[in-house]
Amino acid sequence: MSGFLSYMNGDSILHRLNPLTKLLMSAALCASCFLTHRHSVVIGVIVFNLCMSYSAGGLKRSLAMSVSFIKLALLLFVLQVFFVREGNIILTLPLNIYITDKGALFSSLFSLRLVAATMPLAIMLSVTRMSDISNVLAQKLRIPYKYTFALTTAIRFIPIFSEEMAGIAEAQTARGVEFDTKNFFKKIRLLLPLCVPLLISSVRKIEGSAISAELRGFNLRTRECGYKTYRFGLRDAGALVLTAAIIAAAVLI
Amino acid sequence: MLRFDGVSFYRGSEKIINDVSFEIDRGDFAALLGENGAGKSTLCRLCNGLLKPDSGRVTVCGNDTSSAKTSAIARNVGFLFQNPDRQLCQNTVRKEILFGLEHVLSDRAEMESRTEEMLEMFSLDGKRDPFGMSRGERQQVALASILACKPQLLILDEPTTGLDYRECVTIMGIISRLNAEGTTILMVSHDMEVVGDFAERALVLSGGRLVADAPVRRIMKDAQILDSASLLPAQIPALAMSLGDNFSDVFTVDDMAAQVESVCAKKERAPL
Amino acid sequence: MIRINSVSFRYGESLRNAISDVSLTIDDGDFLGIIGASGAGKSTLVYSINGVIPHHFRGDFFGEVLVDGMDTVQTRPEELAKFVGSVHQDIDSQMVASVVEDEILFGLENFKTPHSEIELRIEEALAAAGISGLRDRDIGSLSGGQKQKVAIAAIIALRPKIILLDEPTGELDPQSSRKVFETLRELNERFGITVIVVEQKIMLLCEFSKHLAVMERGGMILNGLVHEVLQRADKLEEAGVNIPRVTTLARKLRERGLYSGAMPLDLDGARVMMREAMRDAAL
Repeated sequence: MSGFLSYMNGDSILHRLNPLTKLLMSAALCASCFLTHRHSVVIGVIVFNLCMSYSAGGLKRSLAMSVSFIKLALLLFVLQVFFVREGNIILTLPLNIYITDKGALFSSLFSLRLVAATMPLAIMLSVTRMSDISNVLAQKLRIPYKYTFALTTAIRFIPIFSEEMAGIAEAQTARGVEFDTKNFFKKIRLLLPLCVPLLISSVRKIEGSAISAELRGFNLRTRECGYKTYRFGLRDAGALVLTAAIIAAAVLI
Repeated sequence: MLRFDGVSFYRGSEKIINDVSFEIDRGDFAALLGENGAGKSTLCRLCNGLLKPDSGRVTVCGNDTSSAKTSAIARNVGFLFQNPDRQLCQNTVRKEILFGLEHVLSDRAEMESRTEEMLEMFSLDGKRDPFGMSRGERQQVALASILACKPQLLILDEPTTGLDYRECVTIMGIISRLNAEGTTILMVSHDMEVVGDFAERALVLSGGRLVADAPVRRIMKDAQILDSASLLPAQIPALAMSLGDNFSDVFTVDDMAAQVESVCAKKERAPL
Repeated sequence: MIRINSVSFRYGESLRNAISDVSLTIDDGDFLGIIGASGAGKSTLVYSINGVIPHHFRGDFFGEVLVDGMDTVQTRPEELAKFVGSVHQDIDSQMVASVVEDEILFGLENFKTPHSEIELRIEEALAAAGISGLRDRDIGSLSGGQKQKVAIAAIIALRPKIILLDEPTGELDPQSSRKVFETLRELNERFGITVIVVEQKIMLLCEFSKHLAVMERGGMILNGLVHEVLQRADKLEEAGVNIPRVTTLARKLRERGLYSGAMPLDLDGARVMMREAMRDAAL
């Protein structure tokens, strides 16, 4: 799990794009999955995602990530496919359970969308530095730095917290709490009391983070403070044209 | 008690533990040494089934960890983590100790009596909130709740990290008393003074391989092994090493003072 | 120079003082180690120097702390931060960026360092902390020792006169801990930066620091040159502070009338002591 969102050092085209372009692109790719009703387009988006991560040198990571999304998508597929009762029955199972063509199409599209739509943001975050995101949002979109910094800090803390939670679950398993149970509901019930240590360690970490930022002049920061400037170049124009083309394809095909 | 047979473990494609075999007998006090990233924490987690070996076999208290549930192994194997905060989840010390017992015992009266026993052994106030305590005190609460379950084997992952000297002495005193009473101990530590004072045997990991398995006193004077584990030698043995053969049996301050005295006495007796 | 005059502080919700009547003067260019049992008030003292107390943690503050002549009560912590750089205990929570370079840039940007100077400052800070090769690395992928140096570099870039560290080696192995202290010594000797470090590892303090202050239950019970403080074995024991074994050895040799020279602080000193104790003896 760790390293999911962590920054991948590199110098690819994707790395060099304006952070704002990258955010727009991932939003557009995500939207196009929901604008289209065709499997082919969604599969196209998935392929495009993988090409992007290949060009940035992170194919291996994206594949590992998509495997876990595909597992989740399959689960959702199975859950959904039995609920759609319209359409022609293509498979009949005992206990009056059947699968219809419509149901199969609808659920498979849903599952594909899930995979296709979650990937772009994860890929973009892995090739963009967090401070670039907070700076560009502050400079170009005029959002106060306080908020953009809070946003990127929240994203940065996700892996730290998930590691903490895994560590807590591990410590409890080692003292005999049955976290290794297969029973999902039992696991949830066992997890609840552990929210206390997680909450306490989170509050401590956030406090430490705030003090550290304060002592390095966070409160003095103004919009003009950014050292890097984020100009849009030809590369960005190209990427935006490509993005527009993908959206158009999603709507038109 | 604990046995590794040709154990390897991978994280992704990286081999973290590489063909490790050793055996720890009942009543042993073994130290596990190695630099950060050598695989010590992974090895500890393999001991109680938190991680399962990719090849080879780990047997602990008669259970093969690959088939036994970790929560079942936990009845016999206590595991103290470096960071006590991951373990503590109740708002009083008493509840914390009871919480651990609830998962291994069913007799309420027995649970109560063991809790009292632990509070007394650690001189802890059962009504205090662990989160208001110092790190060393929290470490003691965590240890108390593990010991309440009376484990046969105790695994300690850097038990003295982040503690002040006094807390360190308290914790190590309790651990060595347990060992004297028959509990088997496997302890990860960087502190060669602590290792030298308490452990009898040292296992040294480097790059996932077991590079040494020998009495602590031998390891303490093996500069090459110490260096491979990024350890700094304890002061007195290191000093003794630089002083030549007369000092080869010197490990403690008292040994050293006595030896200096005898060398000086000899010198006075010898004719000029 | 830092002057601490009879400072006491009680945290808002607490019943007793975290520190009471502490006075201390720290000269420019000093390398001061602060040691003491947990709960002795070491972190509170650190927070009183960098202004986190009374500006961030509220409570009852008495006395006066002057950093380079500035009163910490009247000066905002970010103003003080130009003179005093701080590295606190939990290293992960202190990071504000995902990449080493950005971590260093953060403070430089906030303090409006002229843009023409920034590149130089980043390079200089990375070099001073000995991590020039890590500039583009993801912070999450670094080891504990490396992260500690990143935190130090981020402070050095702001060119403070004083650097304040609270248990920087708490989670590190012995070799990495030494490397952090070697970096600190370099900053102290080459750039004349005053180093104040809270540390539990007495052997590191004995080897690297010039002065040693010992705290117990909120008070400062010893303060002086390292070898002077080490003479007070009784007081150190009372304060729950470990004494290096070579120092204990020296005491025992003195008791037996075998040695009367200087108190050794580390292994090298001990070797000198042994030569002296066994002068001419066949070794």
